[in-house]
Amino acid sequence: MNSDRVIRKEEMEGKLSRAAKKLTSSPIQELSHLAQRCNAINLAEGFPDFPAPIHIKNAAVSAINSDFNQYRHVQGICQHLAKMVKEMHGLDIDPLTDVAISCGQTEAFAASIFATIDPGDEVILFDPSYETYQGCVTMAGGVPIHVPLDPPLWSLDPSKLLRSITERTKAIILNSPHNPTGKVFTKDELETIAGACCSRNCLAITDEVYEHITYDNQKHISLATFPGMQERTIITSSLSKTFSVTGWRVGWAIAPASIASAIRNIHIIVTDSAPAPFQEAALTALRSPPEYFETLRREYQSKRDYTIKLLAGVGFKIQFIPQGSFFLFAELPDDCPLSDVEFVKKLILKAGVVAVPGQGFFHTNLSSDEVSNASCNYQKRYIRFAFCKSEATLSAVSEKLGKLLDTEGRLALH
Amino acid sequence: MSTTDEITHHPLQVAKRLEKFRPTIFTQMSMLAIKHEAISLGQGCPNFDGPEFVKEAAIQAIKDGKNQYPRGYGVPDLNVAIAERLKKDTGLIVDPDNEVTVTTGCTEAIAATVLGLINPGDEVILFAPFYDSYNATLSMAGANIKSITLRPPDFAVPIEELKSNISKNTRAILINTPHNPTGKIFTREELNTIASLCIENDVLVFTDEVYDKLAFDMEHISIASLPGMFERTVTMNSLGKSFSLTGWKVGWAIAPPHLTWGLRLAHTFINFSTANPLQCGAVAALRAPDSYFVELKKDYIAKRAILVEGLKSVGFKVFPSNGTFFVLADHTPFGMENDVVFCKYLTKEIGVAAIPSSVFYFNPEEGKNLVRFAFCKDEETIKAAIERMKKKLKKK
Repeated sequence: MNSDRVIRKEEMEGKLSRAAKKLTSSPIQELSHLAQRCNAINLAEGFPDFPAPIHIKNAAVSAINSDFNQYRHVQGICQHLAKMVKEMHGLDIDPLTDVAISCGQTEAFAASIFATIDPGDEVILFDPSYETYQGCVTMAGGVPIHVPLDPPLWSLDPSKLLRSITERTKAIILNSPHNPTGKVFTKDELETIAGACCSRNCLAITDEVYEHITYDNQKHISLATFPGMQERTIITSSLSKTFSVTGWRVGWAIAPASIASAIRNIHIIVTDSAPAPFQEAALTALRSPPEYFETLRREYQSKRDYTIKLLAGVGFKIQFIPQGSFFLFAELPDDCPLSDVEFVKKLILKAGVVAVPGQGFFHTNLSSDEVSNASCNYQKRYIRFAFCKSEATLSAVSEKLGKLLDTEGRLALH
Repeated sequence: MSTTDEITHHPLQVAKRLEKFRPTIFTQMSMLAIKHEAISLGQGCPNFDGPEFVKEAAIQAIKDGKNQYPRGYGVPDLNVAIAERLKKDTGLIVDPDNEVTVTTGCTEAIAATVLGLINPGDEVILFAPFYDSYNATLSMAGANIKSITLRPPDFAVPIEELKSNISKNTRAILINTPHNPTGKIFTREELNTIASLCIENDVLVFTDEVYDKLAFDMEHISIASLPGMFERTVTMNSLGKSFSLTGWKVGWAIAPPHLTWGLRLAHTFINFSTANPLQCGAVAALRAPDSYFVELKKDYIAKRAILVEGLKSVGFKVFPSNGTFFVLADHTPFGMENDVVFCKYLTKEIGVAAIPSSVFYFNPEEGKNLVRFAFCKDEETIKAAIERMKKKLKKK
């Protein structure tokens, strides 16, 4: 780059929008790059390393061969979703008006935010939270307000929620089953959130991508099933986690007709259509028999149990057993002097295993009075492990960690 | 677009940014066409499929397990293939990892570019007639849009009008070349003039070049390749039109790192990544031999001839289209009051669907004489549409 270009580069940087300047790039993606460079076993990113179900792959191949390759809106997806939502939650939705197909849950969420949030609107998020939500809210000019869940069980303190709602609060975001903790919000907690939404006239936007991955006979309850909630809730979800096709980008938003229509309008502006052959394959996926979902749950549960045993066995503090999703939020042992970031870096370099330092999921609100160094210390003590990996991968992790144990059988990375 | 009227017991409003939104003309006309079993020469969507070698590559990727999240800004091989293609087509050398971003179609490239680089209140210049998503996206970002009309018969850029509208207050100008719906290809002279005005006033340029492989009568030129322009240009393109795979939604934005950073951030939050197996298909597509593109052009030139000759023989006044798969025709010989009325009549009574052009202008009056026909259809379909029009469409 010659000096002319360097000077102009600085001028050009001033050309970024205010919203873009506030955003930082995904720490999860950066770690993934480091792990790739070191060839580390990836327990960081939330995608499976085992193959997607064969019946669904075949449906996609068949769609491409049958020329389902031009712009399409596959209404059948909406019909299947209406059926599933009725079966799972008892909710009645109109497939013609209440569903917007999108490019993954990411786009469904972004479109929902752009469809409902005006600059200055406050949006409540429960901390720790998946990093994308805040970025999206900020981009739309909204103000993210974080309500902390209380460790070690990540429980919701109703007074913390109620204190955070103001007359500028437009929406509450709920991700359950929850990334990164694996928490499934309890009926009482959902009632609290629903009550707050109704009494303060807020919208709720849910991320239910892990809806079919719950453990120990826990059922995922949708916030929309509570009294007064269906008319003010946008449910977002996708094929990605349920069918192990995170790279296909087919998702949806389910909402009352007028809001779904607004979401659809945004989707048309942003991407216009979800990938056609994968929309077609979605029909096959959504028709999967009950056995498919039972097997999914069973297999993930066994991976969960293996991972807990492994990590607890080498010294991690696991006070909260994940009830859903495929993440384990493990705490560093009390006597570990390292922060989460320092620990993960050593984990990559010494053990050849990568996970995500938890601090990226925590946010402090400048307006919060309770924030002090002591009370926030826990934010640097957690590591998120993804166990959506094959048995071979999990065994390999066990083997690698096994080589780094001290005399007491605990992981020693220094 | 307030929803308070519709459901009175809970005044939950949708965001103000949607107030100017109109339902898209394409949906409306498509539905009308289906209802009346009309032959559709409306939407820019081929009724034939993409090439086998591209479909095979995507199928192989699915079988090989490439079904999980790819790198957010593109499957590495695809970024490389895009850079190679750009070098071949324009001579520009770009860094695949820092200057190329894969998006979900060119539509998302535009959305990410606008959301990443445009602030509410920023002034952006658009040439009318324009593809309707530009206006919608810019409105969503709160831009202050200035429209400059390209007029028949040759849709040349009105240089004096451009000069008086561009200033140091202008943030960006959006150019679509080859141009939908006119089929115009911006000339080297026009692009040089625009370039010098942009450099003088420090204006960014966003170009939509999705029809670059459908440039028939003259060379397609990327403004980014002109002196001093690369550092202020976002060049956007996609697979859809060149490879007849409009539903795959694989596109890209090429820009210097300081502009790429902003559009990548927006892309991460609105979409995260583009379908993995289809990106793998795109790699094969972009490495297609020259013969593929020669055949593609030959094919489309033949289709254009059938359509243009046919429309003329029916009685339309047809404007010359140098590129894309669209032509604009003047419908006034048939005596209807405007393009929307004409298109509805054409669909219902004659059984042919076209798109009324007034939707591509801020001031619908400017487009009321014009309708857009697409020739991205097999020859039989185009001939059948012409036959229907010859039989029943009468000049007044």
